[in-house]
Amino acid sequence: MSTKEQRERLELLQGTLDLLILRTLLRGPTHGHAIAKTIEFNSDDVLQVEQGSLYPALHRLIKAGWISAEQGTSENNRRAKFYRLTAKGRRQLTLETSKWEKLAGAIARILRGTEQEGKL
Amino acid sequence: MTRRGRMLQGLDQEIQDFIDRETQDNIERGMSPEDARYAALRKFGNVTRMKEDTREVWRVVWLEELLQDIRYGLRMLRRSPGFTAVAALTLALGIGANTAIFSVVEAVLLRPLPFHEPDRVVQVLETTAGLPYVSASGEDYLDWESQNHSLEGSSITTWTQNYNASGAGQPETVSVLRVEANFFSVIGAQPFIGSGFAAGSDQVGQDHVAVLSYGFWQRHFAGSAGTLGKSVELNDQPYTVVGVMPPWFAYPQTTDVWIPIDKTVAGTSARGNYSYRVIGRLKDGVTIEQAQADLLAISARLAQLYPDTNRDKGVRVVSLKTRITESSRSPLLILLGAVALVLLIACANVANLLLARAAQREREMALRGALGASRGRIARQLLTESILLSFTGAALGLAAASWCVHLTQSTTWLPIPRQNPIRLDATALLFTVAVSVLVGVFFGLAPALEASRLNPAEGLKLSARSVASTSGWRRRLRDALVIAEIATTLALLVGAGLLLRTFARLRSADIGVRTESVLTMAFVLPNTRYAAMPERRAFYDQLLARVQSLPGIDRAALAQTLPLEGDHTWGSYPQGAADWRTATVQETVNFVTPDYFRVLGIPFREGRNFTPQEFGRALEVSTKVAELTKKNPKLGITPHPDLACSSILSRAAAQALWPNQNPIGKVFISGIIPVQVIGVVEDVKATGIRDAAGPQAYFPVTQDIDNWFYPAEIVVKTHVATESALAAIRSSLQQLDSSISLFHVRTMNQVVAQNMEETSLQSALLGIFAGLALVLAAVGVYGVMAYLVTHRTHEIGIRIALGAQPRQVLSLVMGHGARLAALGVAIGTVAALMLTRLMSSLLFGVAPTDAATFSAAIVFLVMIALLACCIPAWRAMRVDPMIALRNE
Repeated sequence: MSTKEQRERLELLQGTLDLLILRTLLRGPTHGHAIAKTIEFNSDDVLQVEQGSLYPALHRLIKAGWISAEQGTSENNRRAKFYRLTAKGRRQLTLETSKWEKLAGAIARILRGTEQEGKL
Repeated sequence: MTRRGRMLQGLDQEIQDFIDRETQDNIERGMSPEDARYAALRKFGNVTRMKEDTREVWRVVWLEELLQDIRYGLRMLRRSPGFTAVAALTLALGIGANTAIFSVVEAVLLRPLPFHEPDRVVQVLETTAGLPYVSASGEDYLDWESQNHSLEGSSITTWTQNYNASGAGQPETVSVLRVEANFFSVIGAQPFIGSGFAAGSDQVGQDHVAVLSYGFWQRHFAGSAGTLGKSVELNDQPYTVVGVMPPWFAYPQTTDVWIPIDKTVAGTSARGNYSYRVIGRLKDGVTIEQAQADLLAISARLAQLYPDTNRDKGVRVVSLKTRITESSRSPLLILLGAVALVLLIACANVANLLLARAAQREREMALRGALGASRGRIARQLLTESILLSFTGAALGLAAASWCVHLTQSTTWLPIPRQNPIRLDATALLFTVAVSVLVGVFFGLAPALEASRLNPAEGLKLSARSVASTSGWRRRLRDALVIAEIATTLALLVGAGLLLRTFARLRSADIGVRTESVLTMAFVLPNTRYAAMPERRAFYDQLLARVQSLPGIDRAALAQTLPLEGDHTWGSYPQGAADWRTATVQETVNFVTPDYFRVLGIPFREGRNFTPQEFGRALEVSTKVAELTKKNPKLGITPHPDLACSSILSRAAAQALWPNQNPIGKVFISGIIPVQVIGVVEDVKATGIRDAAGPQAYFPVTQDIDNWFYPAEIVVKTHVATESALAAIRSSLQQLDSSISLFHVRTMNQVVAQNMEETSLQSALLGIFAGLALVLAAVGVYGVMAYLVTHRTHEIGIRIALGAQPRQVLSLVMGHGARLAALGVAIGTVAALMLTRLMSSLLFGVAPTDAATFSAAIVFLVMIALLACCIPAWRAMRVDPMIALRNE
């Protein structure tokens, strides 16, 4: 991995990993590796999932009752643990998404405002 | 399986799966399989840490970690058995000794007496100018009793007297206390069998009742429930048993039987005759001070009414507990202080061990950090280890303490008041365990945490040597701990040294008698069967004649008291003194047969020994005094010429009565008796080995022939073994009267040893504590020096390579040790100077600042410290520069 690549990639903000996992699972149950890959792929590789934090996050979500885990067989016929969004998790996703959008919008407005002032 | 178990099942497999997929992805991106796998692993990062974090999500994790920590901790302790043993044993010593001593202090000084509302029980002492107290006089007591407003009840008691007990069981000599009928309710303890003395049972005619101690009941009646109503013979008089006291009741200590006393005809109730002890129970809400003021007012009135006897008299009210414990308070507190110092040293030592160990484990901690252990995790691990160690020490300490407490419970001779049973004190145990756990946690944890704060990468790169150099504060702390240990040890050594010198001084103190091959024993001649004085005299004469003629007995004599054990004084003044009060000398009196002086080797300075005529005369005088007392208990102070008799004085008594004059033929007045001096003997320590040899007067044994307070002592000089001499004397006595038993059988040397018992015990205990401290301090010094040498091996190697001589290497190590010892000794000397003043009451013939003791302790301690440096120094000298340098 080149240093350039490393610089372009961003580490996830605290807590946002949970949101992204929930969002990823909205498409259907899948296994750990696929979740990480999907997040990285969908962010055009800008976001990097710290594998060290993926599994603790998954277990945190299970404990909270937002996702569930079950044994399944993956596409290459290997046994793997599949994670699935629960009804409770779906509600949580809606809540978290709207919170995130509000936050992101607010931050964006402030940043834009500062930029304009700077131009003046 | 738990939810958590199900959830965590297959985590490893999942991770493996993840890495496989990543590897596959990388291969698809065109990497070689090997690179692809490394890239995947690198990307995944710290697998162990991730697993820990995942487990952490499921909270019960702490329990699992705890068990893991305990398992690991035990393994670590097992892996370094030397460290574990030294640390745990050190803690065990501190915990065990402190708990044991504190348990004794708690039982004796802190716990209330086991009586009903014990705070209200007081002893009333009659005071006299110039003396702290005297026994109370019977008539004064009657006035106190009828006029006071502060006592709910009070009882006069005698001192314990020896009686021959027969009837059921073996005949034996028992300690009897005569008390008023209300004694047990005044003191606040009731018999556990029977109802005790009924009101009025102290009236003549109803007074042949007895309350037994638990021990005597067991010995004499085999603890039979049917004992009540049975009779016990005391000096051949039947007494009906009306109660048995519970096993814990021991007032006064070692009393076997309590019988009633009639205070109105107590016989010797005259004012000016001080023979009684008075205990009282304060009214509810009355303080000791109020009672004292109340009784002092009565005493002041008595002084006006009876100036002859009561002019200088006063009253002191003390709580019974204070009275019982006052003589053991300061020795016990000093021992407690000493043992606390031992705990301090033990803690310093363990701290030192832990610091050294932490230094050795710095790389381990760095490695753990590198492998993903968080600081909290490392802290918990170390905490578990420290606590395991402390608890091991505590368990051993508990075993040691309970053994010691058991020992004190089963020994009856310990010279401490035993009203309360001694039991293992939980507070002390918890306190000492808490202290040792805190020490373990603080000194085990702090350095390790500091180590884990290091960047793992750096920590791993560091060599042991450079790690040590990063933590100068810790080396200074270790030095400081050793200095503190040496200082404390010095204080203990000086304390023990002073007591040992006291012991030696007492051992070599000149008592004034020759103790070798002198055997002593006591018997009681019941005044019931031998009521008349001529009968008593005849018995004594016959017994003495028989004993004297026994083979193996060189010489035999009778005496009322033995040297060192006298407690009976008569006030005497020279005949014709201008003011008898100022001229009065208190003489310790003894009543003897002529051979007493030769048996004990007391030389005559002037005059002569008693003649048989004088023995007859003494008998007449004592008979007349008894008759006079019966007619009128108030004997007054006018000398009766027809009571004239003779006495032998000690040198000190003669000097006090007639300074620098020839006392032979002179007359002194004792009470109403004019006494002519016929001889002067050398001084003898009559009242105790620590006391000066005071004025003493010897009278013929017939002069005080029916004194209830004293059994007759037989002293014999023998050239055969104690057992055979004793057997022969016993059979002579049995032939005369089979109901009389011998007791208090001791050699004169044992009498002396008994008089020094407290000092022996104190010096033994303090000696043990000082010895422990010395061992611990030596271990401490050794530990620090060994550590120093290990961590400077490289440096020493270089020095040797550059041409340093072994002598220089030696002085490098010894110099450091000597500096620590010097500082410790300096601080310790100052501390000891302050502390030993507190123990001056325990000392005899040696000042608390005794220079010889101080210098001996200092030299000894410095030698031990330097000796402890020798092994590490020797190791340093033998450092091979090649190996030391290659080591890096």
